[in-house]
Formats: sequence, structure tokens, C-alpha cells
Amino acid sequence: MSCASKKYVSLMNKVLDQEATEQEKQVLFEHLATCDECRVHFNELNDSTELLRRLTHPQLPAAFTKSVLDHLPPDKRNVIRKWGSRHPVLTTVAICALPMSLVVIGARRQTRDRSGYALVKVSGDQT
Amino acid sequence: MDQSEKRLIKKIRKGDQQAFAELVERYKNSVFAICLRMVGNAQEAEDLSQEAFIRAYNHIDQYDHERKFSTWLFRIATNLSIDFLRRRKNVVSLDAVVPSTEGLSLNAMLPDEGEQPEDRIVRKETEEMVQGEIKKLPEKYRSAVVLKYIEDLSLKEISEIMEIPVGTVKTRIHRGREMLRKNMMAEGGGRA
Ligand SMILES: [Zn+2]
Repeated sequence: MSCASKKYVSLMNKVLDQEATEQEKQVLFEHLATCDECRVHFNELNDSTELLRRLTHPQLPAAFTKSVLDHLPPDKRNVIRKWGSRHPVLTTVAICALPMSLVVIGARRQTRDRSGYALVKVSGDQT
Repeated sequence: MDQSEKRLIKKIRKGDQQAFAELVERYKNSVFAICLRMVGNAQEAEDLSQEAFIRAYNHIDQYDHERKFSTWLFRIATNLSIDFLRRRKNVVSLDAVVPSTEGLSLNAMLPDEGEQPEDRIVRKETEEMVQGEIKKLPEKYRSAVVLKYIEDLSLKEISEIMEIPVGTVKTRIHRGREMLRKNMMAEGGGRA
């Protein structure tokens, strides 16, 4: 009852992958006509994958897309525009405050640069 | 990749979320199908699908526009599902207490309105059996089999999604297919 040749298993795979030549198909099907074991094996492989193919493809609810959008980081262009139109006074203050804050940040950065330089110098001395 | 998709991606790169919504609409059910068949639970699959799209949006700069967008997106979805399975394996074995298609409502599974109630029940049972068999496959065979038989993708596309050679994809599909056959025949008793 046991089929001696393993070569038919790889032929079955080729056929199932749709990569077999006409000649290879013919060799396999001629063998299947005479070998019960291989025929059963081939049919079982076919049936198993057919069951997978026939699984339903459930549809996601329409609300899914909106839910994804709700989880995205805010759209920068829209945020600035919307915020500006809702808070005109604050926007003006913010725009005026910007140069001031740049001065402050600039000053802080200089302080940090100085300490950073000092550190480099110390480690340089040690080597 | 088609031109409309290229245009959409250009807009998304500039932060256009409406353009992104169009891509979500286009691919959401495919992404959901991959996640669902990988993890076997509709609620988890919906969460994973959402995460996949959020990641795609946040990392759109990493997308190589010479390749198909779906290849990149499906890669994100597959990897998230595999990560999820590994995390779950490390926490507790939920499989013991939760049936494989928990959360999959009858309605979600059945688009066919003319179907008889008895047929529905048989179909639901068959689907649960098949989903249970998919779940027995090791992750690397499972993802190859799902992409092949659920999404109907070519071996080449699967190899690009999984970033492995076509030959390896084939081996995994052959082994996965053989495992499915053995298990289904052992347990399904020829229900196929
Ligand atoms: Zn034989």
C-alpha cells in the first residue's frame, strides 16, 4: 500500500503551486490514476487548501476608518489654522512672544555650551 | 503601483489625513483578514488592524514608493500579528479557555443573505474547525499560508512581504499545507 517514490510529493507541490509544466502534470496524473495512496494524499491537500480559500472575508464596520483617523497625531496644518481662527488674540500674543523666547532660549543654549566645552576640556587634559 | 495611489501617498506625506482615509478604505478588509486569520479573534484582529494603519501613517517616510504600498502595509500587519502571538504566548495560554473564533459573530461571518439557518450553522462550524487548524500552525508557516490562501498573493509578493527568498516561502507553504492536511484528516474525520 505504501508508495515507494517520494518524487510524487514534490510533483504534487509543484502542481498545487501552479508551477508544474504540462509534462509534469501528466506524469503526476498518470501516477495518481494507478496509486491510491498518492491520489488520496493529493485530494486531501487540495481539500485542505480549498477550505482555507472558502473562509469568509468579514467586513470591518464603516466606523473603523474614522476610528483610525481619531488615533492619528493631529494634522499640523489644520491644527495651527483652526487654533489661530479660534484664538485670534492669543495668536497675536504668541507671534509677538516668539522673538522674545528665541532670545531667552539662545541665552540658555550659550550657558549650556560653555559647560559642555568645559567638560570636553577636562577629559582632553586627562588623556 | 497605480497613479492614484502614488498621488495619495504624496498627500499623506504632507500630512493629509483625508488622503490616508482613502487608503484605509481601500485596504482595511484585507488587513483585517490577515490579522483575523493570524490571531483567530475578531476583536484582537480589529485592534491590530487599527494599529497597523496608525503605524503606516506615522512611518510613511519609511515606505519605499518603488514597491507596492500593499506589500509594505501587509508586512506591518503580519509582523504586528506575530508580535501579538508571541506576547500572548508569554503571558498565558488563552487558547485553553477561549475558543478559536471567539468574538467572531455570526453576522460578521455571513455576507450571504439568502442562506438557510442550518447552512449557517454548518458553515460556522466548518469555519471554526478551519480557523482552529490554522492556529495549530507555527507562526512562520501560518503567515505564509494565510498570505497565500486568504489573500491569494503570489509567491513573489509573499517573499517581499516576509522578506525571505521565494524558495523559503515555498518550503513554508509546503510544510504548512502538509500539516493542515494531516491535522484536518486526523480531527475533521473527512469533513472536507
Ligand atoms: Zn504513489
